[in-house]
Amino acid sequence: MQCEAAREALIDGLNGSPDDRAEVERHLAECAACRAEAASLTHLWDTIGTLGPEGPDAAATARMRDRLEAMLAANDGSQRSRRIFYGLQAMAAAVLLALGLALGMGIARYTATPAPPASEINVMRQELQDLRHMITLSLMQQQSATDRLKGVSWSGQIDAPRNDIVQALLDALANDPNVNVRLASVDALERFADREVVRRAAVDAVQTQMSPLVQIALIDFIVKTGERESLDVLKRIADDPQVHEAVRARATWGVQMLG
Amino acid sequence: MLAVRAGDLARLAPLFERHHRALFDYLARMTGNRAAAEDLVQDVFVRILKYRHTFRDDSRFDTWAFRIARNVRADYFQGGQIREIALDEAAEPASGGAGTAEAFELDRQAARVRRALSLLREDQRELIVLARYRGMKYEAIADLLGVEVGTVKVRMHRAIVHLREIFLGLSENEPCSVKQPEKRLLMV
Repeated sequence: MQCEAAREALIDGLNGSPDDRAEVERHLAECAACRAEAASLTHLWDTIGTLGPEGPDAAATARMRDRLEAMLAANDGSQRSRRIFYGLQAMAAAVLLALGLALGMGIARYTATPAPPASEINVMRQELQDLRHMITLSLMQQQSATDRLKGVSWSGQIDAPRNDIVQALLDALANDPNVNVRLASVDALERFADREVVRRAAVDAVQTQMSPLVQIALIDFIVKTGERESLDVLKRIADDPQVHEAVRARATWGVQMLG
Repeated sequence: MLAVRAGDLARLAPLFERHHRALFDYLARMTGNRAAAEDLVQDVFVRILKYRHTFRDDSRFDTWAFRIARNVRADYFQGGQIREIALDEAAEPASGGAGTAEAFELDRQAARVRRALSLLREDQRELIVLARYRGMKYEAIADLLGVEVGTVKVRMHRAIVHLREIFLGLSENEPCSVKQPEKRLLMV
């Protein structure tokens, strides 16, 4: 075995036994220079190994665990909200059906009760909506990415979001430093896809975002909204060698879908 | 993970318990910043949840999670315009702070190699972190990086040689932050 081959085998040997271990050992027995090389490499490898594990301390683990639980709870909450929404829809349909039948059978007069003052209910509803708006906007301005993520999630619970909520989501998409908040904003903006300002913002953002994940999510958004005016933008992205390979592939797919 | 993919999100908690240390270790070594690593581990699990439907039946969870961690790390350096890694002053002394002359020498060598690693190119540092600290064999690294085993061997060879050059080039008398750790930002 030549010195060059032996030295290559030595580096392979750091990460497990080299295939030709016996040959390497024979060579080392005869070659002082390679023995020195082996000692030097082993010393370096051992010294690297003396740097202890970078595991999180107990406080960090607790914080991460709390955030995970909050994330799972938020996710579960949105799933439960959807289930409740569909449940309420079904209940409302059943109530309407029963009411219709009752009216049809002429027994409504026995069941009629005075309705609560409509103005009172409307005021309470409005107050609840205002509170949700306030919480959402407040969360989205927090320093913690987890809180901002919650804020984006809260926006989905508002029945008729005002323009400032939509604007806050657009700002998060364009400027939030955390990629997960930007990704969540793309999802949250889907319900406002009928607004031109949102569709235009998505097309602008897909050209300026640095994260391939967000770009891909935006391309999906654009395709879902059928924004044919974005075809040129998608074509440009698909042809740009500077753009991440996965983004280019998704843009090509987008062009096919919209073309 | 298959249960999580199927919608049983509570099953993510045991996956977190089993894998968060390894992910934290990788991200802390790659960023040199434990506080950032904490946030990035959170990002990894957000993405695991978000992209759970992309987990394939034949995938290994740890490999898949590390792929996500690599993307999270890339976004951290790219999105935050951070081109430097910090030498973390909270790093434990290699000797465990025994206080003997031998322990001091061990700490000094460890500080040197820590610094050498921080000066290493990011892709080369990653190979050493995966091989030395995560104990991954070349085959596993090749699978993670999506390259041939031979390519990993060649890159590893260059990384070790380069690291040794840096390690030996660092003057023995340079401040090595053994006694008075100093927060330093170094260009990668």
